[in-house]
Amino acid sequence: MTPTGSLLIATSLHKTYGHTPALDGADFSIHPGEVVAVMGPSGSGKSTLLHCLAGIVKPDSGSVHYNGRELTAMSDTERSGLRRGEFGFVFQFGQLVPELSCVENVALPLRLNGTKRKEAETRASAWMERLEVADVAHKRPGEVSGGQGQRVAVARSLVTGPRVLFADEPTGALDSLNGERVMELLTEAARESRTAVVLVTHEARVAAYSDREVVVRDGKARDMAGVR
Amino acid sequence: MSGQEAPGAPAEEPRARVSVARWAADLAMGGRFAVTGGRESWARTIMTAVGVGLGVALLLLASSVPTMYQQRNERGDARSALSFGDEVKPGPDTLRLANAGTTYRDQDINGMVMAPDGKGTPPVPPGIDRIPAAGEMWVSPALKDLLGSDEGKLLRDRFPYRTIGVIGDSGLSGPAELTYYAGISQKAFGHVNSQYHIDHWGTEKQGKDEPLDPALLLLIIVGCVVLLLPVLIFIATAARFGGERRDRRLAALRLVGADIHMTRRIAAGESLFGSLLGLAVGTGLFLLAREIIGSIEIWDISFFTSDIVPSAPLALVIAAAVPASAVVVTLIALRGIAIEPLGVVRNAKPKRRRLWWRLLLPLLGMALLLPLAGGFGAGSGGGNMKAYQAAAGAVLLLIGITALLPWVVEAVVERFGGRGSVPWQLATRRLQLSSGTASRAVSGITVAVAGAIALQMLFASVGAQDREDTGQDPNRAQLIANVPVSDGDQARDAFARYRATKGVRDLLGVTEDYVSDVRHSKDDPTSVPEEAITVADCPTLREVVRITSCRNGDVFLVDSPSYYGEEGGFAKPGAQVNLAYRDDRTPDLRQKKLWTIPRSATKVKPRQDPTGSERTGIFATPGAFDIADLPDPGASAMIRLDPKVPDGVEYVRNTSAALSPAMDVMRLTSTSQSDEFQVIRKALFIGATATLLLIGASMIVTTLEQLRERKRLLSVLVAFGTRRTTLSWSVLWQTAVPVVLGLALSIAGGLALGVMLLKMVGQPLAVDWTGLGTMTGVGGGVILLVTLVSLPPLWRMMRPEGLRTE
Repeated sequence: MTPTGSLLIATSLHKTYGHTPALDGADFSIHPGEVVAVMGPSGSGKSTLLHCLAGIVKPDSGSVHYNGRELTAMSDTERSGLRRGEFGFVFQFGQLVPELSCVENVALPLRLNGTKRKEAETRASAWMERLEVADVAHKRPGEVSGGQGQRVAVARSLVTGPRVLFADEPTGALDSLNGERVMELLTEAARESRTAVVLVTHEARVAAYSDREVVVRDGKARDMAGVR
Repeated sequence: MSGQEAPGAPAEEPRARVSVARWAADLAMGGRFAVTGGRESWARTIMTAVGVGLGVALLLLASSVPTMYQQRNERGDARSALSFGDEVKPGPDTLRLANAGTTYRDQDINGMVMAPDGKGTPPVPPGIDRIPAAGEMWVSPALKDLLGSDEGKLLRDRFPYRTIGVIGDSGLSGPAELTYYAGISQKAFGHVNSQYHIDHWGTEKQGKDEPLDPALLLLIIVGCVVLLLPVLIFIATAARFGGERRDRRLAALRLVGADIHMTRRIAAGESLFGSLLGLAVGTGLFLLAREIIGSIEIWDISFFTSDIVPSAPLALVIAAAVPASAVVVTLIALRGIAIEPLGVVRNAKPKRRRLWWRLLLPLLGMALLLPLAGGFGAGSGGGNMKAYQAAAGAVLLLIGITALLPWVVEAVVERFGGRGSVPWQLATRRLQLSSGTASRAVSGITVAVAGAIALQMLFASVGAQDREDTGQDPNRAQLIANVPVSDGDQARDAFARYRATKGVRDLLGVTEDYVSDVRHSKDDPTSVPEEAITVADCPTLREVVRITSCRNGDVFLVDSPSYYGEEGGFAKPGAQVNLAYRDDRTPDLRQKKLWTIPRSATKVKPRQDPTGSERTGIFATPGAFDIADLPDPGASAMIRLDPKVPDGVEYVRNTSAALSPAMDVMRLTSTSQSDEFQVIRKALFIGATATLLLIGASMIVTTLEQLRERKRLLSVLVAFGTRRTTLSWSVLWQTAVPVVLGLALSIAGGLALGVMLLKMVGQPLAVDWTGLGTMTGVGGGVILLVTLVSLPPLWRMMRPEGLRTE
């Protein structure tokens, strides 16, 4: 797959933590509405690649172009704004604010963007309905199951209508049944709204929901389009 | 699994009989966990130790106060020159003394001038080896330093003595005391106003100690409660530092087979270790504070390091109560959670806080205080029972406020709903989830502020009564010096020297004496009527009598009060008066010296002079009366200073010291208030502020701990673009809401206690709005401080590195 028409393109990314290289010349690209699974063994640099693509971490060298803009040249405030408005995130665990109710958690990104509470919660409720967790809207994260919590997190990641969704082991803490349901809902919703999904996983079962796989090994990313 | 739904309260295991050895082993294991968990464990243990240590240091200092004052008073008594017996007649072994204290730029300097009466062995005051000979002096170390410094340059002129040594500690009330003993000649005592003789130093206690003034006793009781209760609360808070992390560790222990009781004992052991370390840290801090206190002076009070010794029984109580309370607090904290093998289960819906017993405490306090209305007024006996009742009432009222606080915080935050901005929502939701932590931290502030407000009210009211209108008018003259002179010439000379002093703009000099009635030539000179005669120039006379015109040579008369009989005083125009007096200050009826009041003398009305006194009798200008004719005059110089000359008052004091070694100059002020009340008010304010800062420190630790627990969540929030300001504001609100509620409650409680205290001492009700505003301001400052200190770590934790798991 060539980068032509890509929404997000990363070229020759290098990132080192202390003396440990996490990325060593990784390349990556994704098109609008595409679901790409980033796979690799533990410690291979998949999460670091995701963090660099999302503008959470600045790479030591290399470039990340999003929609024609260079992420590495942006200030922290600009990158934060981008993450608030155009990106969505789902992590493995510890992502919901425990003191807010589920619907408040889902509405949080909208509220951070300045949307009024009522409107934000109405839109959040719609997404929760779609992800089949409307019944836990007013419960706190501590009062719902892991699968429900993860679906709430997916709803939160999609509520702003992001153009790219970054999911880091979104089913890592779930049993297979719950994990599959979450993946079905996530990919279905993303494809409907033409949201690109960067899906970091080490499970082939989860990667099966993607259109394309990229394998990260020793800090280098290899597109498996031709291999598959 | 922290924060998961409780599947129902886990069944408590039957309590098996546990041997002492098992207890000890579990406690010891807890102790080991306190230090063997790497940096995290040490950080938590050190936090607890420092927190407890700060509290312990304060408690040890408080327990040293009785010894500090006892030692100070004992030294003060030993060097006292007051005697309660008959007046001492001069003899070979007596000492002639006069107080020669002075003031230098608002610093009081104690001093005595002395001369042996005979050739025997006069008593030597404590701290020096011998009586200074004329022209010699002993000085305290602080005075020696002051005299040797640039700051004391101007003061050196006031001491025309050679320093022969430094007064030892036994002769000083504190290390920073400015004091001296100077030797002067017997002849120089002729220029000293108030003098006496002693045959020994020191006062013996006359029977039992005087009971404390009841109002003062009340102040001390409430003061101790107000300052120490928050410290105890702080210690309890410090013992809970790092609780959440510890609970997770205990869950891991459950997984490998520890039962519930064992985990509780292990947790208790961990707290015990922290609090024991805290005792050691506290002792260290106390020793450090001792050294610091020994080298500073606050409001003219300083203490020797050796005076700061905790009372043994109180120290023992502290040593036993602090670790015990740490253990109890930990066990109570563990009651609300169940530590299960797969994690910590907090009771999802904690029991609703009950109001009835929380209200009962302050009401009980009020019930104890109400019957004491008027019971601590002046003249009422301060019986022990009353004191205990007052103390119990105040303690219950203040503790009641802290007990009410969690209920109020819970009740209020519950009503907030989900409205408001994102930071507000995050903060209030957090408080709704667990308001107990916030309430605990704030409860110390509540006690300190409530108590401080109540005491400020008491001080303001008592102080207002204590503040007396002196009648002095500092606009007409700023200083007054009563110059000891033996004749009129000396008075003239003294006035001239004052006039020539730098910084003196003008001087009102009056020379006064008495004249007696010549018509009563009785044998008993003590029954002869007398009148005052005041000699001064016209500008000065205008300040002491109401006159419209005055020329040198004029004489004025002001009628004396009517006790001389219906015809008034004997001083009338044309009347003759006797100027002669004997050595014992009675009219000399044998060798009379007559002066005739001029027939031109006019009757006038008196006028208050700048010191507020009204004079009567004869007022003569120097042209009408020669002051050299006065046998034993007194001279008063009312001095107007040039405000443009700095240290004018010090130049005047130097001139006074040159005129008489024991003369001081008094500043005229329109109102006066006893220093003690001002000192206590300031001390209370400082104490309350220190307590608030201490509580602020514990709130900072609690907030940091909460932030650390949420490190990953903060990183996730950053990942989806949350602004720093959003989270900063949420920390501010999270601190502000409980503190504001706490302050509101403490203002209400403080005012209630203040009203009670005022009723008890029989004072009119008055609210010290300034004090109230200040304390509230300090409370607000604590909110800001906690937020500001929390921001750098918050921002540090908001880095995306927190998302990394590998």
